[in-house]
Amino acid sequence: MKILLEWLKDYVDAGVPLEVLTRDLPLIGLSVDAVEQTENGAGTLVDFEITTNRPDLLSHYGVAREVAALYSKPLKPIDPAPAEVTDTASHAAKIEIADPELCHRYVGLLLRNVKVQPAPDWMRRRLEACGLQSINNIVDATNYVLLELGHPTHAFDLDTLADKHIIVRRARAGEKLRTLDGVERTLKPHHLVIADARCPVALAGMMGGAETEISFQTRNILLESAWFDPVVTRRAAKELGLRTEASYRFERGMDLEVPLRAARRCAELFLELAGGELLTGALDVYPRHWVAPAIEVRQSEIKRILGEALPDQVVGRILKALGFALTSRGPGAWQVTAPSWRRDVSREIDVIEELARHHGYDKFPARLPPARQPVVRPPHAEAEAALRQTLEAQGYDEALSFSPVNPADAEAFLAGGEELARIQNPLSEEVSALRPSGLLSLVEALAWNVNRGQRNLRFYELGKTYTVRKGRFREQCVLTLAATGLLREKTAHEAEQPYDLFALTGAVEAALELFDVGPVSFHPCDAASFHAPERAAVLSGQQKLGVLGRLSPELASRFKLRQPAYLAELDLDALHATGLRPRRYHALSRFPAVTRDFSLVLEQGTSFGTVRRVIESLRIPELVSISAVDRYCGRAIPAGKYSLLIRVIFQSSAQTLTEEQIRAGADRIVEALKKKLGAALRA
Amino acid sequence: MSEANQKATKKLDELGVGSPDGVAPMFAELSATFAAEAEAATTLEAWKSLRDRWLSRKKGLLTQVKNNWLVPAGPALKPAVGKELNAVRARVENALAERKALLETGTTPGAEALDLTLPGRTARRGARHLITQTLAEMCEIFARIGFSVVEGPEVETDYYNFEALNIPAFHPARDDFDTLYLDCTAASLPVELRGKSDPHQRLLLRTHTSPMQIRVMEKQQPPVRIVVPGKTYRRDNPDASHSFMFHQLEGLCVDRDITFGDLKGTLEYFLREFFGPETRTRFSPSYFPFTEPSADVSATCVFCKGSGCRVCKFTGWIELLGSGMVDPAVYEYVGYNPAEVSGFAFGMGVDRFAMLKYGVDDLQLFFQNDVRFLQQFRR
Repeated sequence: MKILLEWLKDYVDAGVPLEVLTRDLPLIGLSVDAVEQTENGAGTLVDFEITTNRPDLLSHYGVAREVAALYSKPLKPIDPAPAEVTDTASHAAKIEIADPELCHRYVGLLLRNVKVQPAPDWMRRRLEACGLQSINNIVDATNYVLLELGHPTHAFDLDTLADKHIIVRRARAGEKLRTLDGVERTLKPHHLVIADARCPVALAGMMGGAETEISFQTRNILLESAWFDPVVTRRAAKELGLRTEASYRFERGMDLEVPLRAARRCAELFLELAGGELLTGALDVYPRHWVAPAIEVRQSEIKRILGEALPDQVVGRILKALGFALTSRGPGAWQVTAPSWRRDVSREIDVIEELARHHGYDKFPARLPPARQPVVRPPHAEAEAALRQTLEAQGYDEALSFSPVNPADAEAFLAGGEELARIQNPLSEEVSALRPSGLLSLVEALAWNVNRGQRNLRFYELGKTYTVRKGRFREQCVLTLAATGLLREKTAHEAEQPYDLFALTGAVEAALELFDVGPVSFHPCDAASFHAPERAAVLSGQQKLGVLGRLSPELASRFKLRQPAYLAELDLDALHATGLRPRRYHALSRFPAVTRDFSLVLEQGTSFGTVRRVIESLRIPELVSISAVDRYCGRAIPAGKYSLLIRVIFQSSAQTLTEEQIRAGADRIVEALKKKLGAALRA
Repeated sequence: MSEANQKATKKLDELGVGSPDGVAPMFAELSATFAAEAEAATTLEAWKSLRDRWLSRKKGLLTQVKNNWLVPAGPALKPAVGKELNAVRARVENALAERKALLETGTTPGAEALDLTLPGRTARRGARHLITQTLAEMCEIFARIGFSVVEGPEVETDYYNFEALNIPAFHPARDDFDTLYLDCTAASLPVELRGKSDPHQRLLLRTHTSPMQIRVMEKQQPPVRIVVPGKTYRRDNPDASHSFMFHQLEGLCVDRDITFGDLKGTLEYFLREFFGPETRTRFSPSYFPFTEPSADVSATCVFCKGSGCRVCKFTGWIELLGSGMVDPAVYEYVGYNPAEVSGFAFGMGVDRFAMLKYGVDDLQLFFQNDVRFLQQFRR
């Protein structure tokens, strides 16, 4: 709300310089957005940010009230008394409210023989400084009163109103109205209209109709100053896309007691600027009178909410300055009624806020409330911290991605049985779905960076996916990994090493090791977003925990990613369900460990996993680890075979193992591998 | 070293090798031991002792291996042992010659060529996202004064996001939240969610973290003292200070005798802990439908410390968050008795706090995942 300081001075003299005013007003809730000097010489303009609960501040007089209360200055009353001629208005026009629930009051004033012409300079300057265009003296006068008293009014050309009959009613289905902006609008039965005997002539509380507008030919005027229901106004304004100064105010709740005064103030200005005569008697149809609620206000409640009681005289001073009436109801208790322009004040807490606001928020002493219960962390905070630590230690940067994504890209990442969750009113098509997978976001992250010359990347994201599954929106927690380029760059000390599938499986294993998921295996899968054969489902027993692999060439080219990328996504909800792996002490062996290497020649296709399973199935109690140390195929290895060097460690917790014991163990291993897998030892 | 020494003094059958299969691993181990020792020999002196240790005619390791492994071996093992021993000897001799050449020409760092200015061997470390770090810091500060951390869904109903927070349909305050609604026309949705048959159940992306106030109070009797971190969404066109997705931290404290003074004390404490002990705070009246009295909270500008600069528009203050005493109407929705309990709530933009604290000048940087940005905040 733009307020001209020179205009404000018509009603109150703050008696303080501008800097003091703009410092003090925010402390009573009038937040200052900007201060500027107007270009047309109208003076200093202060732009206030007015909260939606305070429509009374959407005017110079409303701001003047607060200024007067703040500095205890007198507020000049606005009491218009335009001269009336003897002819009575009630003979010249008729007003009827068909729906008093939606229109509590309708005041009509009639003027005749006015001369419509441009408004005088002083008025145009003020209006234009506040952002309103000058039209003519009549329209400008109504706008002037809008900015002065805050109440929207509307002038009709009386001679265009059929039967000079105003009816406030709901529109009939299919009725049409061409509004002042030239748009023909089709109305619905929940729209409130001002109609004449024939048809709608204005959208109530929003905009007048083009047929009845004031023109330079207009001689006779019906001036409307009414009260319309906030909800019906807002609903129609939103639906019709018609936000006007009037609808902005009516939807916030206007003062039911001001319409007559606003109308008289308009008439006063009309007579001054356009001449003519005002007919006797306002047509004031007022079926639902304003009743100020009686509010009980107690010192005990003030203290309970604000932390401190206020001296009785402070309570009285603040409330009276703001136009409230109060009567004592015994010690520390009052009955308070709010002024009609403060429809936002109907409860004790509303009054307490007024007291706090004008007493000064800074006057209430701060304290830290004593805690009465222990602090609880989210159930998976510890697991997430462990995951972050593990992955960051392995060089993965944490990514954080937008949930809204492009549905065209997202489709490729939908799992079977899932649909995209779509946004009904997206900013654009590119962000009109919610991501069904973190893989999409991290492919984009890789591409973004590669395009900016960053080629060696590792990302993790702890995020959510959003899908529709079996008719339900579903938010799921996932851990997503993505990497491309080098695992290790070349340095003076070591050679470079590319990031490959096993770098990815290693990271996935490290993440899963934190959880109590039992043995995890990677099984070949046919996930289309990955490149065969480098793709796998991550399984714990029969449960699928996720998927991993090398990004398919189709997706890589779609996202313009010109280097191999590896990605994994794990179901974090499933991992959280298992919880962190419990840690427990196992006695350390005092006896030496013995290492034995076996250089095996195996059929191509016999995996290390199979070898390990065969060895483990022997249940040799002293066997503590089995690892794959080398793989070789080529010269000296028969076609269709390959050589695998495995390293086995034996250790007993009870004794130093003898050569015989170790040999016996080694022999069993070799024998089992020969028998079950046809393995041969390499000579 | 001692293991190789020990084994060299024993015969193969004493070492458990009875068949030709067992021979190769023994020599592989020997080779590996040599390779490791050779790598460690970075001076000519070290090289000489390495050579003597392995190749000395009388006591050298390979001599011992010959005497103890090859000589006593039976006919079944001898060919294999002989073959392996020759191979290892050749490997050791070649490697020693190469190593000597390297050390003499100085291409491998020896004592005289040690360059300590070379960066050490390190593994790349990943960076935690600045938003995660900021949220963690905020939650930690609030935990110190008794606030638990809870999280909630991002897809919310109209009821929790607006209605129960005292923002009914057609309330003008809804203009402050440009809301993204979910498309409920998907054919697979159950009928009750299709279209808008029940506007309260209409699904949307939460515009603030405040719905969790309601969800928590519905389930828990006072005292309640929580903070709620999370993603929030509004239909804002992206620019340096706007984004359709951002982060909030919500706070709620409800108990007997919680006052406006407690609100002030809590937020003053938080802002001092977060921005520094010299931070001063200012509370000014504001309006939120779910709090009353409501307060905007400003702190002394983090850039100019209050003396006035472009960032604070020369006011010395930066408006940081919204807060207020919980409106009694909200208690009605969750079944609390407003005459018995009172409390305060607040909500702050995490992204904005991070921008101010770390001097980030573009909100979009938080969501681009540019590794050059992320790595700046590595701990």
